[in-house]
Amino acid sequence: MRAVRWLGLVSIAVTTACTGAIDQGPSGATRIGASTVPSGEVRRLSQAELDNALRDLLGDDTRPASRMIVTDRYTPFDNDTTTQRASETLIVGLEALAEDVGRRAIATPESRARVVPCTPSGPGDEACYRQFLGGLLRSAFRREVTAVDIDAYLPLLAFATEDNAFVDNDFYTAVDLAIRAVLQDPEFLHRIERGDPSDQPGALALDDQEIATRMAFLLWGTLPDGPLLDDAAAGRLVDPGSRRAVAQRMLLDGRARDQLHRFHAMWLGYRTIPHDAALATAFGTETAALIDRVVFEEPQSYLNVFTMDETWVNAMLADQYGLVHPSGAEWGWVPYGATGRGGILSHGSVLSAFSKFTDTSPTQRGLLVRRRLMCEDPGRPPPTVNVDVPPGTGTDAVCKTDRYAVHREIASCATCHAQIDPIGFGLERFDVGGRYREHDDGHPECAIDGVGHMPTGEPFSGPGELGRLVVDGGYVEECVVEQWLTFAVGRPLAAADTRSMGRMVTEFAADDHSFFELMLDYVESDRFGLIAEEP
Amino acid sequence: MRNKLSRRALLAGAGGVTIGLPFLDAMLGRGRTHAQDTTLPKRYAIVFAGQALGGDGYPNDQSVMGGVRSTETGHYIVPPSTGAAWEMTTPLIPLAAQRDQFSIVSGMRIPYSTSSTDPSDVPAGGAYRDFHGGGASPLLSGVRSLEARFTARGITSDQLVADLNLAEGLPTASLVLRAQPAWYLSGSDFSGREYISYRGDANPIEAQTSPRVAFDALFRGFVPPDDEAARQRADFDRRSRRSVLDVVLARRDQVLRGVSSADRIRLEEHYDQIRALELRVAAIPDPPAGLCQSPSDPGADPGIGGNNTGAGASDIVPGLGYSEEDTRARVMADIIHMAFVCDMTRAATLQITSFQSHMSVLPVTTAMGTPIHADLHENGHNGDPDNKGQHAVSLMLGWHVGHYAYLLDKLARTAEGDGAVLDNSCVVFMAEAGHGRQLNDAVSDFATHSVERMVMLVGGRAGGLMPGRHIDAAGAHPAACLVSAMQSVGRTEGTFGEVTGEISALFG
Repeated sequence: MRAVRWLGLVSIAVTTACTGAIDQGPSGATRIGASTVPSGEVRRLSQAELDNALRDLLGDDTRPASRMIVTDRYTPFDNDTTTQRASETLIVGLEALAEDVGRRAIATPESRARVVPCTPSGPGDEACYRQFLGGLLRSAFRREVTAVDIDAYLPLLAFATEDNAFVDNDFYTAVDLAIRAVLQDPEFLHRIERGDPSDQPGALALDDQEIATRMAFLLWGTLPDGPLLDDAAAGRLVDPGSRRAVAQRMLLDGRARDQLHRFHAMWLGYRTIPHDAALATAFGTETAALIDRVVFEEPQSYLNVFTMDETWVNAMLADQYGLVHPSGAEWGWVPYGATGRGGILSHGSVLSAFSKFTDTSPTQRGLLVRRRLMCEDPGRPPPTVNVDVPPGTGTDAVCKTDRYAVHREIASCATCHAQIDPIGFGLERFDVGGRYREHDDGHPECAIDGVGHMPTGEPFSGPGELGRLVVDGGYVEECVVEQWLTFAVGRPLAAADTRSMGRMVTEFAADDHSFFELMLDYVESDRFGLIAEEP
Repeated sequence: MRNKLSRRALLAGAGGVTIGLPFLDAMLGRGRTHAQDTTLPKRYAIVFAGQALGGDGYPNDQSVMGGVRSTETGHYIVPPSTGAAWEMTTPLIPLAAQRDQFSIVSGMRIPYSTSSTDPSDVPAGGAYRDFHGGGASPLLSGVRSLEARFTARGITSDQLVADLNLAEGLPTASLVLRAQPAWYLSGSDFSGREYISYRGDANPIEAQTSPRVAFDALFRGFVPPDDEAARQRADFDRRSRRSVLDVVLARRDQVLRGVSSADRIRLEEHYDQIRALELRVAAIPDPPAGLCQSPSDPGADPGIGGNNTGAGASDIVPGLGYSEEDTRARVMADIIHMAFVCDMTRAATLQITSFQSHMSVLPVTTAMGTPIHADLHENGHNGDPDNKGQHAVSLMLGWHVGHYAYLLDKLARTAEGDGAVLDNSCVVFMAEAGHGRQLNDAVSDFATHSVERMVMLVGGRAGGLMPGRHIDAAGAHPAACLVSAMQSVGRTEGTFGEVTGEISALFG
């Protein structure tokens, strides 16, 4: 591994402000210095998290949040708390969503049975209502509930018992209303971390329930389930070691896979794939299979995600890529062989992202590699450059390489584009659908040589060689940690985070780049259970 | 006419649940005054198109359609003649039957420095020299931009009008709607391109993008006055909604206990919005009467379409990069129309497409009989291989104008006083860009990235507007046009943001 690059990302001011030292705790577990305690901000559930929570809380898998409330910012992750603000539109949408979900929850005997654990003796059966509320509130608020919590909802029972000839009200009317009240409650919609005084200076310690919520939303993208809340109630999460064991169990759950797929889709920009449904679904299946295999099924170096020499395809995808069909089953691993392909960068999912003007954009693909895989910022073009117009517009040049020549010929462009476009040109033989080509679409006279260059000048051709270069150059192992940490804290990294990142990178390498271990180590770390005291 | 919200009505609606009387008192004094006024309410709306007026590098008479280059005139929005005898142009065709109901204001320009790209050299009300972002603030707020960000730096005209009417205690201070619900590019997001209404510097109003939710927010509880059963059901519905919100609000102190001060601020903002919703629910809507009736129920929202990046021209098919914006915009226009008729609000914005919109134009252009395989943004820059230039751009501009025409027509057909609601309205059509020199290089002409040769349409007869003419504004700032538009609905100031000026010819 190269010398740790991340140090270069930390500003001088941050470095000199670093006063806390990393020291060893009594049990050998690392204790962190005050300067690495992360700040904790209230975070609202993203649309995807809310949809997952509704699925787990009420069995509602219609994903209404993605339709009915204000869309999330993707920076590139959907959970950046600094972009979240309350608005009238949000609140109105949340009420509509709560009513939509509440209505479905009591629509059929089956759905009623899913949310109400008892059979009401009549419309005003308070005991049954309390029982229902106890379960609902515990799951929704991610903590043990008290009689006071439950009492707050009892006025709603009046709507079940009201003698009103014009409405068809019964016990489930009050169930519906309680669901609506819970779904609109800020305690459900937000992850609020209060913390308690701790023995670490400047740090507050999260309690078991707060840690359970952190773990569930990080590893599953949803609420804690019953067993996890039981772990919290039993006090198993404050201790880093037992917390790790719980996290290990959680990672065996299918929701952990879904969450990691989501992380990759946002990170690499393919969260929605711009192709027809069959192809888009197939690309998603292919990429999920690679992540699952490397992280969960045949645990191995995460870096293999970028260098894997075979891929999971069906006949349609095999034809798309020019690979042999899988034998035996509909889907199977087939070797790339000498196709120039390798790893996730060869997938249609990633190759379809970061395109422009209905064709690949060497600039946009270059930016994907620089920003998302190398975690570098090549900067913005000067304002006088109109970046919306494809290079070479208005010239007679037909071939893309000739059109992009303006990026080299104009001095003010050349400095930056020399660090961007040549990366993208190395992927040019792979179109926006992941198909192989040797000339521009519709222009046989425009041959594509497919040769690219890294900012260091190293030549390569195709996603296979590019994947190898970003791995061997040490970029991926550091950048993926930075991206995942950003996703975990749900905001841009602050100085306290970047200070921790170096150790995470080192441990990642020491664990043979096991992403599974990276996640466990992070959850086990002291800082996972702490938030900085407000200054 | 709408009833003043009475304490008795509130108590009757309380459903036995304790409500915060002192807080509700705050709104009890806010009566509706216009019932006693002799003048009718004045309404103001902006309809926004996230596109430019012409194709990149294509002079106004040049197009390629179906692979054939042509020099047909009449596609560019601006008619050759000014005055009342202006010639019909392609984007204005949807307004053909309404040419006496709106004026065309052409030849407007946002100032910028031709010699410097330094933010400190941006003139007052001017544009920072990077089009995407640079043009937004001066267009929307009359305040200069200082960077390439889609963020208005001042309050927008619709909100100034909303503030004019604050004392009326209208159920909705302003209606902010957007038809395009998704950004459609996978590797990025709206990043401010989704806002055209601002309360102030960098303080945007989140638009409602769900026609369903927008409809319910205004018209739920509208029941025919003679339908007692429906009234009773609506009453139960309103009482139960309020009780639900009361339960949430009653837990506020418990939830806020022990949180950090920063978190408290954020959560209190959330609670304040819930409390505002509770107040709106508490206000018993007037029984619909006369022409104030609920629009027809829009049903479930159309699905939100997939993304649109670089799928290859032939791969852009309906359903990708399109969420039935045509249907959504129409429902939203219906909602604005009836909200105006019922005097539920007097200020509205309908952002049909976002700034730099990547909505696929294929479904809409296919319905027009001229399929173009591109998204709206690239339609301006490049079109598709066979269709580009002025004609292609004007077809989509005409699609936006069609929704504007639809709203004008509905307001014109709704009687009020001695005339129509449109006679007491000012409805502005605004496009993102003009078609002059490119803002980035300050040289290339006929550019989509231009704040020159900008055009607005000003519809209605509020405040003495004299529609029906084409007015060459001779380089006036578009904010000056909005100054006059706002004057037509009662604002007296001659400035907007950093811009002083008006298009007085709008008043004849």
